Amino acid sequence: MIKSINVSKTEKILFIFLICLAIFAFTSFFLLKNKCLFVEKNNLNKLKFDEPNNIAVMNVECGNVIIELYPDISPKAVKRFKNLIEQKMYDGSAFYKVSENTFVQAGDIEYGNINNLDYSKIGSGKSGLGLLKSELSNDFIFTEGSVGLARTIEFDTEDSEFFIVLKEIPIYQGEYTPIGKVIRGLDILKKIKTGNKAIYVLRPDYIKTFRMFNSN
Amino acid sequence: MKILFLFILIFHISHVNADEIYNLIKIPNLEIYKLKNNNNIRYLSAKRNFKIGINKNISCDKVNINNLNTKFPLIEKNLNLYNSNFLNKIKLKYIVFCENLFISEINTGGLPDNKNRTLIIDINFNQKYFERMIHHEIFHMIQNSHRNFFNENEFSSLNKNSFNYAECSTCSDKLNLDLYENTDGFLTEYSKSIPSEDMAEIFSFLMTDKDIIKEKIKNDRILSNKINFIKFSLAKIDKNIL
Repeated sequence: MIKSINVSKTEKILFIFLICLAIFAFTSFFLLKNKCLFVEKNNLNKLKFDEPNNIAVMNVECGNVIIELYPDISPKAVKRFKNLIEQKMYDGSAFYKVSENTFVQAGDIEYGNINNLDYSKIGSGKSGLGLLKSELSNDFIFTEGSVGLARTIEFDTEDSEFFIVLKEIPIYQGEYTPIGKVIRGLDILKKIKTGNKAIYVLRPDYIKTFRMFNSN
Repeated sequence: MKILFLFILIFHISHVNADEIYNLIKIPNLEIYKLKNNNNIRYLSAKRNFKIGINKNISCDKVNINNLNTKFPLIEKNLNLYNSNFLNKIKLKYIVFCENLFISEINTGGLPDNKNRTLIIDINFNQKYFERMIHHEIFHMIQNSHRNFFNENEFSSLNKNSFNYAECSTCSDKLNLDLYENTDGFLTEYSKSIPSEDMAEIFSFLMTDKDIIKEKIKNDRILSNKINFIKFSLAKIDKNIL
Protein backbone atom coordinates (compact mmCIF):
# COMPACT_ATOMS: atom_id res chain seq x y z
CA MET A 1 0.00 0.00 0.00
CA ILE A 2 1.32 3.45 -0.94
CA LYS A 3 1.32 5.82 2.06
CA SER A 4 2.39 9.03 0.30
CA ILE A 5 3.41 10.31 -3.16
CA ASN A 6 6.61 12.28 -3.37
CA VAL A 7 6.33 15.28 -5.71
CA SER A 8 9.33 15.68 -7.93
CA LYS A 9 11.15 19.01 -8.34
CA THR A 10 10.04 19.31 -11.98
CA GLU A 11 6.41 18.85 -11.00
CA LYS A 12 6.74 21.55 -8.36
CA ILE A 13 8.16 24.01 -10.91
CA LEU A 14 5.44 23.15 -13.39
CA PHE A 15 2.76 23.68 -10.74
CA ILE A 16 4.18 27.10 -9.76
CA PHE A 17 4.43 28.06 -13.43
CA LEU A 18 0.77 27.18 -14.03
CA ILE A 19 -0.33 29.18 -10.98
CA CYS A 20 1.67 32.21 -12.23
CA LEU A 21 0.22 31.84 -15.71
CA ALA A 22 -3.32 31.73 -14.31
CA ILE A 23 -2.73 34.89 -12.23
CA PHE A 24 -1.18 36.66 -15.21
CA ALA A 25 -4.04 35.68 -17.52
CA PHE A 26 -6.67 36.70 -14.98
CA THR A 27 -5.16 40.14 -14.26
CA SER A 28 -4.35 40.79 -17.91
CA PHE A 29 -7.96 40.13 -18.85
CA PHE A 30 -9.22 42.84 -16.51
CA LEU A 31 -6.36 45.26 -17.23
CA LEU A 32 -6.70 44.99 -20.99
CA LYS A 33 -10.46 45.23 -20.85
CA ASN A 34 -10.24 48.56 -19.08
CA LYS A 35 -8.90 50.84 -21.84
CA CYS A 36 -9.04 53.85 -19.51
CA LEU A 37 -6.49 52.45 -17.08
CA PHE A 38 -3.42 54.68 -16.62
CA VAL A 39 -5.21 57.65 -18.24
CA GLU A 40 -5.41 60.87 -16.25
CA LYS A 41 -9.07 61.70 -15.63
CA ASN A 42 -8.56 65.50 -15.13
CA ASN A 43 -10.49 66.30 -11.98
CA LEU A 44 -12.12 69.70 -12.61
CA ASN A 45 -12.05 70.72 -8.95
CA LYS A 46 -8.27 70.84 -9.08
CA LEU A 47 -8.01 72.92 -12.25
CA LYS A 48 -7.79 76.69 -12.65
CA PHE A 49 -7.55 78.73 -15.84
CA ASP A 50 -6.71 82.33 -16.70
CA GLU A 51 -9.65 82.65 -19.07
CA PRO A 52 -12.30 80.19 -17.83
CA ASN A 53 -14.86 81.70 -20.23
CA ASN A 54 -12.97 80.13 -23.10
CA ILE A 55 -12.50 76.72 -21.55
CA ALA A 56 -14.78 73.84 -22.54
CA VAL A 57 -14.89 70.44 -20.88
CA MET A 58 -15.79 67.39 -22.91
CA ASN A 59 -16.50 64.35 -20.78
CA VAL A 60 -15.99 61.00 -22.51
CA GLU A 61 -15.63 57.43 -21.28
CA CYS A 62 -12.06 57.81 -20.03
CA GLY A 63 -12.35 61.24 -18.44
CA ASN A 64 -12.42 64.98 -19.10
CA VAL A 65 -10.87 66.58 -22.15
CA ILE A 66 -10.13 70.27 -21.56
CA ILE A 67 -10.30 72.51 -24.62
CA GLU A 68 -9.21 76.13 -24.80
CA LEU A 69 -11.23 78.05 -27.37
CA TYR A 70 -9.77 80.76 -29.62
CA PRO A 71 -12.41 83.47 -30.22
CA ASP A 72 -9.71 85.87 -31.42
CA ILE A 73 -8.86 83.59 -34.35
CA SER A 74 -12.34 82.42 -35.34
CA PRO A 75 -14.96 84.56 -33.54
CA LYS A 76 -18.07 83.31 -35.37
CA ALA A 77 -17.11 79.65 -35.22
CA VAL A 78 -16.26 79.81 -31.52
CA LYS A 79 -19.52 81.64 -30.80
CA ARG A 80 -21.42 78.84 -32.58
CA PHE A 81 -19.43 76.17 -30.74
CA LYS A 82 -20.14 77.76 -27.34
CA ASN A 83 -23.80 78.14 -28.24
CA LEU A 84 -24.11 74.44 -29.07
CA ILE A 85 -22.27 73.48 -25.87
CA GLU A 86 -24.50 75.70 -23.73
CA GLN A 87 -27.60 74.18 -25.32
CA LYS A 88 -26.17 70.70 -24.50
CA MET A 89 -26.47 69.79 -28.17
CA TYR A 90 -23.22 67.81 -28.14
CA ASP A 91 -24.27 65.50 -25.31
CA GLY A 92 -24.43 61.99 -26.75
CA SER A 93 -22.69 62.99 -29.98
CA ALA A 94 -20.81 60.05 -31.51
CA PHE A 95 -17.18 59.99 -32.62
CA TYR A 96 -18.29 58.41 -35.85
CA LYS A 97 -15.23 59.33 -37.91
CA VAL A 98 -11.91 58.35 -36.36
CA SER A 99 -8.49 57.72 -37.84
CA GLU A 100 -6.14 56.05 -35.38
CA ASN A 101 -3.61 58.49 -33.89
CA THR A 102 -4.64 61.02 -36.54
CA PHE A 103 -8.01 62.63 -35.74
CA VAL A 104 -11.40 62.12 -34.12
CA GLN A 105 -14.58 63.73 -35.40
CA ALA A 106 -17.98 64.22 -33.77
CA GLY A 107 -20.79 66.76 -33.63
CA ASP A 108 -23.42 65.60 -36.12
CA ILE A 109 -26.38 66.70 -34.07
CA GLU A 110 -29.08 65.45 -36.41
CA TYR A 111 -27.87 61.96 -37.34
CA GLY A 112 -24.89 61.37 -35.04
CA ASN A 113 -26.41 61.22 -31.58
CA ILE A 114 -25.88 57.94 -29.81
CA ASN A 115 -29.60 57.72 -29.04
CA ASN A 116 -30.55 58.29 -32.65
CA LEU A 117 -27.69 57.09 -34.86
CA ASP A 118 -28.44 56.97 -38.57
CA TYR A 119 -25.49 55.27 -40.24
CA SER A 120 -26.82 56.02 -43.72
CA LYS A 121 -26.90 59.77 -43.15
CA ILE A 122 -24.27 60.36 -40.50
CA GLY A 123 -22.00 63.26 -41.37
CA SER A 124 -24.69 65.15 -43.27
CA GLY A 125 -26.77 66.30 -40.31
CA LYS A 126 -27.51 69.93 -39.49
CA SER A 127 -27.75 71.82 -36.23
CA GLY A 128 -30.62 73.99 -37.45
CA LEU A 129 -28.55 77.12 -36.81
CA GLY A 130 -27.44 77.51 -40.44
CA LEU A 131 -24.09 77.21 -42.16
CA LEU A 132 -21.08 79.33 -41.22
CA LYS A 133 -18.50 80.99 -43.44
CA SER A 134 -15.06 79.42 -43.14
CA GLU A 135 -12.70 81.45 -40.97
CA LEU A 136 -9.38 80.31 -42.36
CA SER A 137 -6.04 81.29 -40.93
CA ASN A 138 -2.85 80.88 -42.90
CA ASP A 139 -0.88 81.24 -39.68
CA PHE A 140 -2.64 78.59 -37.63
CA ILE A 141 -0.82 75.26 -37.72
CA PHE A 142 -2.86 72.21 -36.80
CA THR A 143 -0.53 70.79 -34.17
CA GLU A 144 -1.39 67.88 -31.86
CA GLY A 145 -4.64 68.64 -30.06
CA SER A 146 -5.88 71.41 -32.38
CA VAL A 147 -9.64 71.59 -32.79
CA GLY A 148 -11.28 72.63 -36.05
CA LEU A 149 -14.76 72.88 -37.46
CA ALA A 150 -15.42 70.20 -40.07
CA ARG A 151 -16.97 71.03 -43.44
CA THR A 152 -18.00 69.35 -46.67
CA ILE A 153 -15.56 69.50 -49.61
CA GLU A 154 -16.85 73.05 -50.13
CA PHE A 155 -15.79 75.97 -47.97
CA ASP A 156 -18.41 77.96 -46.03
CA THR A 157 -20.31 74.82 -45.08
CA GLU A 158 -19.29 74.63 -41.41
CA ASP A 159 -22.08 73.93 -38.95
CA SER A 160 -21.72 71.84 -35.78
CA GLU A 161 -19.29 69.04 -36.59
CA PHE A 162 -15.78 69.38 -35.25
CA PHE A 163 -12.58 67.37 -35.28
CA ILE A 164 -9.55 67.14 -33.05
CA VAL A 165 -6.18 66.20 -34.52
CA LEU A 166 -4.04 63.73 -32.58
CA LYS A 167 -0.81 64.62 -34.38
CA GLU A 168 0.49 67.61 -36.30
CA ILE A 169 -1.20 67.79 -39.70
CA PRO A 170 0.47 70.58 -41.71
CA ILE A 171 -1.75 70.02 -44.74
CA TYR A 172 -4.78 71.26 -42.78
CA GLN A 173 -3.26 74.73 -42.47
CA GLY A 174 -5.54 77.18 -44.26
CA GLU A 175 -8.04 74.41 -45.01
CA TYR A 176 -10.17 74.30 -41.87
CA THR A 177 -11.53 76.82 -39.38
CA PRO A 178 -9.53 76.49 -36.15
CA ILE A 179 -11.55 76.91 -32.95
CA GLY A 180 -9.21 75.85 -30.17
CA LYS A 181 -6.82 73.33 -28.75
CA VAL A 182 -6.89 70.49 -26.26
CA ILE A 183 -4.81 71.57 -23.27
CA ARG A 184 -5.47 68.47 -21.16
CA GLY A 185 -6.67 64.98 -21.95
CA LEU A 186 -5.18 64.20 -25.33
CA ASP A 187 -4.42 60.68 -24.07
CA ILE A 188 -8.14 60.26 -23.41
CA LEU A 189 -8.92 61.04 -27.05
CA LYS A 190 -6.35 58.48 -28.21
CA LYS A 191 -8.45 55.83 -26.44
CA ILE A 192 -11.53 56.58 -28.55
CA LYS A 193 -12.70 53.64 -30.61
CA THR A 194 -11.44 53.57 -34.18
CA GLY A 195 -12.93 51.90 -37.22
CA ASN A 196 -9.83 49.73 -37.65
CA LYS A 197 -8.71 50.81 -41.12
CA ALA A 198 -12.04 52.24 -42.20
CA ILE A 199 -12.71 55.91 -41.56
CA TYR A 200 -16.21 55.35 -40.16
CA VAL A 201 -16.75 53.63 -36.84
CA LEU A 202 -19.44 51.08 -36.18
CA ARG A 203 -20.91 51.32 -32.66
CA PRO A 204 -18.78 54.41 -31.91
CA ASP A 205 -17.74 56.00 -28.63
CA TYR A 206 -19.57 59.19 -27.79
CA ILE A 207 -19.46 62.42 -25.78
CA LYS A 208 -21.18 61.97 -22.41
CA THR A 209 -21.43 65.68 -21.64
CA PHE A 210 -19.92 68.84 -23.09
CA ARG A 211 -19.99 71.94 -20.88
CA MET A 212 -18.26 75.28 -20.55
CA PHE A 213 -15.86 75.18 -17.59
CA ASN A 214 -17.76 77.97 -15.80
CA SER A 215 -20.96 75.97 -15.73
CA ASN A 216 -19.33 73.02 -13.92
CA MET B 1 -8.80 27.40 -45.36
CA LYS B 2 -8.17 28.72 -48.87
CA ILE B 3 -11.41 30.69 -48.73
CA LEU B 4 -10.41 32.20 -45.39
CA PHE B 5 -7.00 33.17 -46.79
CA LEU B 6 -8.65 34.72 -49.86
CA PHE B 7 -11.06 36.66 -47.66
CA ILE B 8 -8.20 38.07 -45.57
CA LEU B 9 -6.27 38.96 -48.72
CA ILE B 10 -9.22 40.78 -50.32
CA PHE B 11 -9.91 42.67 -47.10
CA HIS B 12 -6.34 43.91 -46.93
CA ILE B 13 -6.19 44.91 -50.59
CA SER B 14 -9.51 46.72 -50.79
CA HIS B 15 -9.47 48.79 -47.61
CA VAL B 16 -9.25 52.55 -47.90
CA ASN B 17 -6.55 54.01 -45.73
CA ALA B 18 -8.45 56.53 -43.66
CA ASP B 19 -5.83 59.20 -43.22
CA GLU B 20 -5.80 62.98 -43.04
CA ILE B 21 -5.15 63.52 -46.75
CA TYR B 22 -7.97 61.21 -47.76
CA ASN B 23 -10.21 63.17 -45.42
CA LEU B 24 -9.30 66.34 -47.30
CA ILE B 25 -9.29 65.45 -51.00
CA LYS B 26 -10.84 61.96 -51.05
CA ILE B 27 -7.88 60.21 -52.65
CA PRO B 28 -6.36 57.39 -50.57
CA ASN B 29 -2.76 56.27 -50.20
CA LEU B 30 -1.11 59.67 -50.67
CA GLU B 31 1.75 61.34 -48.86
CA ILE B 32 3.12 64.85 -48.88
CA TYR B 33 5.83 65.46 -51.47
CA LYS B 34 6.27 69.24 -51.13
CA LEU B 35 4.03 71.52 -49.11
CA LYS B 36 5.55 74.99 -49.04
CA ASN B 37 5.57 76.74 -52.40
CA ASN B 38 5.42 80.38 -53.48
CA ASN B 39 2.10 79.98 -55.25
CA ASN B 40 0.63 77.91 -52.37
CA ILE B 41 0.27 74.81 -54.51
CA ARG B 42 0.74 71.55 -52.60
CA TYR B 43 2.38 68.50 -54.12
CA LEU B 44 1.33 65.00 -53.06
CA SER B 45 2.47 61.62 -54.28
CA ALA B 46 0.95 58.15 -54.31
CA LYS B 47 2.71 55.91 -51.82
CA ARG B 48 0.53 52.98 -52.90
CA ASN B 49 -1.71 52.27 -55.87
CA PHE B 50 -5.18 53.79 -55.64
CA LYS B 51 -8.59 53.51 -57.27
CA ILE B 52 -11.21 56.23 -57.06
CA GLY B 53 -14.38 57.40 -58.79
CA ILE B 54 -17.70 55.80 -59.52
CA ASN B 55 -17.19 52.04 -59.77
CA LYS B 56 -13.49 52.71 -59.06
CA ASN B 57 -13.00 53.50 -62.74
CA ILE B 58 -9.98 55.74 -62.12
CA SER B 59 -6.79 53.95 -61.20
CA CYS B 60 -3.21 55.00 -60.72
CA ASP B 61 -0.04 53.38 -59.41
CA LYS B 62 2.37 54.45 -56.72
CA VAL B 63 5.26 56.64 -57.78
CA ASN B 64 8.85 55.61 -57.93
CA ILE B 65 10.36 58.40 -55.86
CA ASN B 66 13.57 58.55 -57.92
CA ASN B 67 11.50 58.91 -61.05
CA LEU B 68 9.51 61.74 -59.45
CA ASN B 69 12.63 63.47 -58.14
CA THR B 70 13.98 63.52 -61.68
CA LYS B 71 10.82 64.95 -63.21
CA PHE B 72 9.74 67.29 -60.43
CA PRO B 73 11.90 70.33 -61.39
CA LEU B 74 10.25 70.42 -64.83
CA ILE B 75 6.77 70.07 -63.33
CA GLU B 76 7.44 72.75 -60.73
CA LYS B 77 8.87 75.12 -63.34
CA ASN B 78 5.65 74.88 -65.33
CA LEU B 79 3.33 75.22 -62.36
CA ASN B 80 5.27 78.24 -61.10
CA LEU B 81 3.93 80.09 -64.15
CA TYR B 82 0.66 80.45 -62.24
CA ASN B 83 0.29 82.77 -59.26
CA SER B 84 -1.65 81.81 -56.12
CA ASN B 85 -4.47 84.24 -56.84
CA PHE B 86 -5.07 82.70 -60.25
CA LEU B 87 -4.86 79.16 -58.87
CA ASN B 88 -7.41 80.13 -56.24
CA LYS B 89 -9.75 81.38 -58.95
CA ILE B 90 -9.50 78.17 -60.95
CA LYS B 91 -9.77 76.02 -57.80
CA LEU B 92 -6.43 74.28 -58.02
CA LYS B 93 -4.46 73.61 -54.86
CA TYR B 94 -3.28 70.00 -54.92
CA ILE B 95 -1.15 68.24 -57.51
CA VAL B 96 -1.18 64.46 -57.09
CA PHE B 97 1.66 62.49 -58.68
CA CYS B 98 1.22 58.88 -59.66
CA GLU B 99 2.15 56.52 -62.49
CA ASN B 100 0.03 54.83 -65.16
CA LEU B 101 -3.16 56.83 -64.79
CA PHE B 102 -6.19 55.15 -66.34
CA ILE B 103 -9.76 56.41 -66.61
CA SER B 104 -12.17 53.66 -67.61
CA GLU B 105 -9.21 51.73 -68.99
CA ILE B 106 -8.05 54.65 -71.14
CA ASN B 107 -4.52 55.82 -70.41
CA THR B 108 -4.41 59.55 -69.76
CA GLY B 109 -1.84 62.15 -68.72
CA GLY B 110 -3.86 64.10 -66.22
CA LEU B 111 -7.17 64.28 -64.46
CA PRO B 112 -8.53 67.64 -63.27
CA ASP B 113 -11.00 67.72 -60.38
CA ASN B 114 -12.17 71.23 -59.52
CA LYS B 115 -14.47 69.97 -56.79
CA ASN B 116 -11.54 68.68 -54.75
CA ARG B 117 -9.16 71.38 -56.12
CA THR B 118 -6.92 68.60 -57.39
CA LEU B 119 -5.03 67.74 -60.55
CA ILE B 120 -3.74 64.17 -60.83
CA ILE B 121 -0.67 63.87 -63.07
CA ASP B 122 0.80 60.70 -64.53
CA ILE B 123 4.54 61.35 -64.31
CA ASN B 124 5.16 58.63 -66.89
CA PHE B 125 3.16 60.42 -69.58
CA ASN B 126 4.98 60.77 -72.92
CA GLN B 127 7.86 63.16 -72.19
CA LYS B 128 7.56 64.72 -75.65
CA TYR B 129 4.21 66.25 -74.68
CA PHE B 130 4.63 66.27 -70.91
CA GLU B 131 4.89 70.02 -70.32
CA ARG B 132 2.03 70.77 -72.68
CA MET B 133 -0.09 68.11 -70.99
CA ILE B 134 0.22 69.93 -67.65
CA HIS B 135 -1.08 73.20 -69.13
CA HIS B 136 -3.68 71.36 -71.19
CA GLU B 137 -5.18 69.86 -68.04
CA ILE B 138 -4.94 73.16 -66.21
CA PHE B 139 -6.98 74.72 -68.99
CA HIS B 140 -9.74 72.21 -68.27
CA MET B 141 -9.72 73.44 -64.67
CA ILE B 142 -9.88 77.03 -65.93
CA GLN B 143 -12.83 76.23 -68.17
CA ASN B 144 -14.63 74.15 -65.55
CA SER B 145 -14.44 76.98 -63.06
CA HIS B 146 -15.38 79.73 -65.57
CA ARG B 147 -17.78 78.11 -68.03
CA ASN B 148 -19.42 81.43 -68.88
CA PHE B 149 -16.11 82.86 -70.18
CA PHE B 150 -15.43 79.98 -72.55
CA ASN B 151 -18.65 79.48 -74.46
CA GLU B 152 -18.11 76.46 -76.69
CA ASN B 153 -20.73 77.42 -79.28
CA GLU B 154 -19.14 80.83 -79.71
CA PHE B 155 -15.70 79.21 -80.02
CA SER B 156 -16.93 76.57 -82.49
CA SER B 157 -18.41 79.25 -84.72
CA LEU B 158 -14.87 80.46 -85.43
CA ASN B 159 -14.24 77.30 -87.51
CA LYS B 160 -15.18 76.82 -91.14
CA ASN B 161 -18.91 76.13 -91.59
CA SER B 162 -18.16 72.70 -93.00
CA PHE B 163 -16.26 71.55 -89.91
CA ASN B 164 -17.89 69.59 -87.09
CA TYR B 165 -16.30 68.38 -83.87
CA ALA B 166 -16.84 64.82 -82.61
CA GLU B 167 -19.47 63.99 -79.99
CA CYS B 168 -16.86 63.49 -77.28
CA SER B 169 -13.08 63.51 -76.89
CA THR B 170 -12.79 59.73 -76.62
CA CYS B 171 -15.32 58.86 -79.33
CA SER B 172 -12.96 60.26 -81.94
CA ASP B 173 -9.78 58.63 -83.22
CA LYS B 174 -8.16 62.06 -83.55
CA LEU B 175 -5.69 61.67 -80.72
CA ASN B 176 -2.34 62.74 -82.20
CA LEU B 177 -0.68 65.53 -80.22
CA ASP B 178 1.98 66.51 -82.77
CA LEU B 179 1.89 70.07 -84.08
CA TYR B 180 0.52 70.34 -87.62
CA GLU B 181 2.83 71.68 -90.27
CA ASN B 182 -0.19 73.27 -91.95
CA THR B 183 -2.48 74.27 -89.10
CA ASP B 184 -5.63 75.32 -91.01
CA GLY B 185 -7.44 76.36 -87.81
CA PHE B 186 -6.13 73.54 -85.63
CA LEU B 187 -2.78 73.08 -83.91
CA THR B 188 -2.97 69.30 -83.51
CA GLU B 189 -5.16 66.42 -84.58
CA TYR B 190 -6.49 66.19 -81.01
CA SER B 191 -7.70 69.80 -81.36
CA LYS B 192 -10.29 68.51 -83.81
CA SER B 193 -11.94 66.23 -81.25
CA ILE B 194 -14.15 68.62 -79.25
CA PRO B 195 -14.15 72.41 -78.58
CA SER B 196 -12.79 72.16 -75.03
CA GLU B 197 -9.85 70.03 -76.20
CA ASP B 198 -9.22 72.48 -79.03
CA MET B 199 -9.11 75.35 -76.52
CA ALA B 200 -6.90 73.32 -74.15
CA GLU B 201 -4.45 72.54 -76.94
CA ILE B 202 -4.20 76.24 -77.90
CA PHE B 203 -3.68 77.20 -74.26
CA SER B 204 -0.98 74.56 -73.79
CA PHE B 205 1.00 75.96 -76.74
CA LEU B 206 0.50 79.52 -75.51
CA MET B 207 2.03 78.53 -72.17
CA THR B 208 4.94 76.53 -73.57
CA ASP B 209 5.84 77.93 -76.99
CA LYS B 210 4.43 81.34 -77.84
CA ASP B 211 6.87 81.81 -80.70
CA ILE B 212 5.46 78.87 -82.63
CA ILE B 213 1.98 80.27 -82.17
CA LYS B 214 3.08 83.68 -83.47
CA GLU B 215 4.51 82.02 -86.52
CA LYS B 216 1.47 79.85 -87.17
CA ILE B 217 -1.13 82.62 -86.95
CA LYS B 218 0.58 84.69 -89.64
CA ASN B 219 -1.16 82.63 -92.30
CA ASP B 220 -4.07 81.19 -90.31
CA ARG B 221 -6.92 83.60 -89.63
CA ILE B 222 -9.14 81.00 -87.95
CA LEU B 223 -6.40 80.04 -85.52
CA SER B 224 -5.66 83.69 -84.88
CA ASN B 225 -9.31 84.33 -83.99
CA LYS B 226 -9.36 81.33 -81.71
CA ILE B 227 -6.25 82.52 -79.90
CA ASN B 228 -7.74 85.98 -79.46
CA PHE B 229 -10.87 84.34 -78.03
CA ILE B 230 -8.79 82.41 -75.48
CA LYS B 231 -6.65 85.42 -74.58
CA PHE B 232 -9.67 87.70 -74.21
CA SER B 233 -11.48 85.17 -72.00
CA LEU B 234 -8.42 84.49 -69.86
CA ALA B 235 -7.86 88.20 -69.31
CA LYS B 236 -11.22 88.31 -67.53
CA ILE B 237 -9.74 85.97 -64.91
CA ASP B 238 -6.16 87.25 -64.79
CA LYS B 239 -4.62 89.82 -67.13
CA ASN B 240 -1.07 88.65 -66.54
CA ILE B 241 -1.37 84.93 -67.11
CA LEU B 242 -0.40 85.05 -70.80
